[in-house]
Parts: sequence; C-alpha cells; structure tokens
Amino acid sequence: MSTSSKSSRRPCLIAAILAGLIATGCSPTPPAAFRLNMVEAISPTAEKDSIAAEQALTTEQQRQVATILAAMFGTPDEPVCLPEAGLDGSKLQLAAGPVRSDIVGRKNGLYREHCVHCHGITGDGLGPTAAFLNPYPRDYRPGVFKFKSTERADKPTHGDLVHVLHNGIAGTSMPSFALLSPTQVDALVEYVKYLSIRGETELALMRYYFELDDEDEGKLPETREFLVDEILQPIADKWASAADAVIDVPEPPADLDLAASVAKGKELFYGDRANCVKCHGVTGLGDGQANDYDDWSKNIVKIEAKLASLAGNELEPAEHRWIADFHDVLDGDALQPRTIPPRNLRKGIYRGGRRPLDLYYRIHAGINGAPMPAAAGTVSPEEIWHIVNYVRSLPYDFDGELGVDRSMAVQSNVAGALAAQETSDQ
Amino acid sequence: MLHRVTFVFSLTLAAASIVSSAMADEWGTLKGRFVFGGNAPASPALTIDKDVEVCGKHNLVSEEVVVGDNRGVANVVVFVRDKKVKVKPELEAAAKAAKPVLDNLNCRFEPHVLFVQVGQELTIKNSDPVGHNSNIATVKNAPSNNLIPASGQVTTKFSSDEAVPAQVTCNIHPWMKGWIVVRNNPYATVSAADGSFEIADLPAGEVELQFWHEKAGYIGEMTVGGKAEKVSKGRKKMKIAAGANDLGEIVLDAKLFD
Repeated sequence: MSTSSKSSRRPCLIAAILAGLIATGCSPTPPAAFRLNMVEAISPTAEKDSIAAEQALTTEQQRQVATILAAMFGTPDEPVCLPEAGLDGSKLQLAAGPVRSDIVGRKNGLYREHCVHCHGITGDGLGPTAAFLNPYPRDYRPGVFKFKSTERADKPTHGDLVHVLHNGIAGTSMPSFALLSPTQVDALVEYVKYLSIRGETELALMRYYFELDDEDEGKLPETREFLVDEILQPIADKWASAADAVIDVPEPPADLDLAASVAKGKELFYGDRANCVKCHGVTGLGDGQANDYDDWSKNIVKIEAKLASLAGNELEPAEHRWIADFHDVLDGDALQPRTIPPRNLRKGIYRGGRRPLDLYYRIHAGINGAPMPAAAGTVSPEEIWHIVNYVRSLPYDFDGELGVDRSMAVQSNVAGALAAQETSDQ
Repeated sequence: MLHRVTFVFSLTLAAASIVSSAMADEWGTLKGRFVFGGNAPASPALTIDKDVEVCGKHNLVSEEVVVGDNRGVANVVVFVRDKKVKVKPELEAAAKAAKPVLDNLNCRFEPHVLFVQVGQELTIKNSDPVGHNSNIATVKNAPSNNLIPASGQVTTKFSSDEAVPAQVTCNIHPWMKGWIVVRNNPYATVSAADGSFEIADLPAGEVELQFWHEKAGYIGEMTVGGKAEKVSKGRKKMKIAAGANDLGEIVLDAKLFD
C-alpha cells in the first residue's frame, strides 16, 4: 500500500535515479544532490488546517521548491551564490564539491572531508552517522545556532562559528578543527552559512504556499522581486547584521569578593527572578524540568501528536496518504526526537565554552532553539556575573557532601514555595 | 505612445480613488456565534507536576477546546485576511493607544488567545507568586523567550504579521499553552466564552475573512445559516453592508476538533 503510493506520487524521483544510472553506468556514486526538507513539506499541520493531508505540499509544489532552490543555490558540487546572499563564492568553492586538489594544489571539498558524515550533504544534520550520536548533529536549515555572542534571536557572527569549529563542542561528538588552517576554517564557516541561508530560503518558500491567494493556483511567483527581494534578502540581511547584535558585556564587578559574589549568585539561582533551579534542579544536576524538546524536534513531536490523535478515527483517503507519507519521512528524513535535558552544572562541561564570558552570554540571552530563556530582562548585568560565578563554583562545591547540600536546598525551596503560597492565599 | 499609456493608467488610478473615497464613509459591523456541532467534549484535567503548591490548587483543565454556554465555542479567531484593507481612522488611532496584556495568571495564560496588532506594545506580566517564562514561537518576527519573575513584566513589539498564530509556552510549566494572533490591522477578534464575536467598523464591500482555532487549525468547513460551506484554508469572502451584518449561528462540526 505504502510502496504503491510512493511510486505513484514520486515519479520524478525514480526518473531522476534512472537518469543518474544511465549517465554514470554502474558507478556507485551518483552526483551529490540536496534533499528537500520533507518534514516541513508535510507539516506543521496542526495549526494550519483541520485536514492535515490537504495541507501537505503537493508533489508539484515540492518540485517547484526544488527547482527554485537549484536556480538560486546550485548543487553541492557547484554552489551558486547570488550577490544578495552576501556570501563569498571563492570560499564556497574551497569547501564545496568532492574532495580533490585544485590547480595550485590546494585541497578542495573540505565540507565533504570533515563535516558531511554527521551534518549531511544538505546540512540537515542527517549524515550517515547522525542517528548514532547523542546529541544529534546540528541541522543548519532553520538558521538557528545555540552558541554565540549575539542576542537570542540573532544570527551568530562569523567569529562565533569559527570559535565553535576551533574549539569543538564539549560534551558532544563535535570535535575541534584547530588543526585546519584559518583559511580552511573560514571556508567551512562560509559554507555552513550558505547551507543555512539555503535552508532558511527553503523554509520560507514552503511556508509561503499557505499565504498564496486562490488566483495563484498553488504556485509561487517565480519573479526576482518575490524570490530575491521578498524571500532571500531578509534572510541574508539578518546574517549580515549579526555583528551589530553582539551582546554588550560589562566588566565583572571588580571590587567584589569572589565568595560574596558566589553567595549572591546562589541566591539568584534559587530565587524567583532568575529561577535557574526550576530546570537545572535543586541540586544543579539538571534534573528539574526535563521533559521538554528543542525547536528542531518540536515539529516531529507535533506530527506524532497529530498521528496519535488520528488513531482510532475513521480516516479519509487523504489522511491515509498523509500517514503513509509521514512514515516515509520518518524513515529517511528525520531522526527520532529526544527530550532535551537541562545542563548538569556539576560536571563543569559547558557546550558553548567554559570562559566566564561564554556563561554570561548563555544567561543573558538564553539559548536559541532550546528551552533556556533569556534572563537579561529581569536580572542586571552585575547579577548575571554573580550567577556566572556561582555556576562556575558548582563542580567544586559539594566536597563529598552533595546530599547535605541537596536537602538544604530542598528545604529552602519548599520553605520559599510555602511562603509564596501563603502570600497568594491572602 | 508611452505618454498615452501613462495617461490612461493615471486615469484608472484616479477613477479607483474616486470609487474608494465614495465608499469611505460606509462601515459595517460583523457578528456571529460559533456553536459546537455535536456533544461538547469534556476538557481533560492537566497534569500539574511543577510548583504543585501554587499551580496545583487551580483545578486546571486543557483549554484546547473550550465549549461554553449553549454550546458556544470560545477562542475561535476571526480576522480580515487582506493586509491592505481600508481601516477606519478612529479605529487606527484607538489601536495605537491600546495596550494588550498577556498575563501569567494561576499558572495559565490569560487570555488564552490574544490578538496583538503589529506595532502595539505587548506587556507580558506575571501575577503568580512563582516565576514563569514566556516562549513565543513567532515565525516572521524574531522569536523570544524571556524570564518573567513573580509580579514582574516585560514588553515586546511585533514588526510583521504572522500567517499562523504563534504559540506561547512556559518551559517551566509545560502544561501552559497560549496563542498570540499578530495581524497588521485592527480587524481581528477572538470568540468569547459563549462563542460570540464581533468586529466593528469594517469597510463596506467585499472582505475576505479567515477563521482559525488552535485544535481545528484554519477551519475548513462550517455551517452558516443552516448551509454547509467548504472554506479552503479557513478563508471566506463576504459582502459587508453598511450597518449590522449578522452571520447568526456558525456550526463547527465536532470532527474538526478530533
């Protein structure tokens, strides 16, 4: 049932594979191709329409998105770079394509040498090793990055991404690429931006179908005005303006005694204003609120919820088709979502970097794409430094007496909650 | 030749502006009431496992589908889809002065669905004795997620409309879910507890309305005045006459809310 619907609904895919086979004979490596964002193509159903199946993009629409993207961004072997995207084409050349040497003996194809096995040819975080990693590799397509110096919703700066490549991400499978030359790291960062801008453009295009008027007959306009000015430009502008969004970090209070600062930080950590305790737990072990998902998983969780709600209902043919499509997507275009645990602060492993400055950024802006909220609106810069100092003390704090610390924290927390209840009862 | 084309074009423009100014003084009010078509479902109780001392005493139930008196469906969003719709000047001024508020109250969002116009200053406050955070999942606007301490508040603004209402959640209290409808004109509303809604001072003439509900999504079918209608993507074109326009009872079939 699902096989037959697959073959009838995806004739172009089979034709493409056949064409590829004919062109390359029995070569085991067909030319690299970007994959469509199939999760977005069949979602997010719940908010958009009562009938999920009617809301998925049609095969025709998927083909239109692929055609537009190929025209605007080229292929993994030959990336195209519109000037409006603000990317450096020569850097992309160095990173793109198969691993090879160019005419002056420089290594080309760096992305496929170093990144593709985890992050995938499309930058969708779906490389062959992805399913075996925890956490999963980053999917660049939504253009959301966690570890950066900018305000929550802003893009990382070029330097932020260089920093991540240089240091790797502690506590994850992302290694350091400090052994690559600065030119090579630079080229890879540019290529990651390229994949992000391409992925964001794809998302914007797919979402736009919903906004079309009836007279558009389900087709996006293929004008420069629409594709470049309305879709690409705003995305590229955000990347170009990242440097203006760097968080202004004041010097830590110089005259303050460290122990006093840690004590103030602890108060804030458990207090209602910074409220770190709610997720990172009374112990700081990351065992508070722990059944949340990050933004990359939420769409799949939502689709699964939709599936669960359809179970047991009498289904219309369109709904049957949508369910079959969804299972196809889960098979090849998505990873099983996992909950995102709050960081265990007793380990001293900080993914976004262990410098006090890194912790300051995380607390100030929160972590984009993750549940961690921004504290900047409710605690002062000086107070953020106190929290930084307290958090940095946590791995060394217990001295074999974690249990003691824990029960005290529980007591003070319960006492606080009871006091709060009394206040609210009055 | 070129001159003539320009001339004809400007003539058409002039004619168009005469027509629209002739109709400018005509405004109509649209009202109606959403009715649940079928047996109203029971709202399941929510699992309260955080800050139980504070949040556990409010007997919170799911607000995904709220059916009130006379089977009225609350929290249905109605708005004018056309972003260039003519807006009555008084309404524009009133919208500028309005200050929408989203409250974290009794460990839920109040109101559950809030309309905010582009440019308005939205205050998100916390009337609870426990801290919350408000994670607003906007798509066109920069998403935000701010901590809001007890008795605290933050303000935010939206610079663009949203094609789909944005969900607001609290990551500390995962049962808390609300919605923010962001449109660029004042012609939007959310149905009341009894299912009734009213949009005042619409420009007379044809408007395209759009209907949305968090469980049903954009409402694909409805029965208006006893007549079943398929409304693709929740869009319905209708003529607004000067004065009162009453859609009467709009029946939404129970299966939309499955």
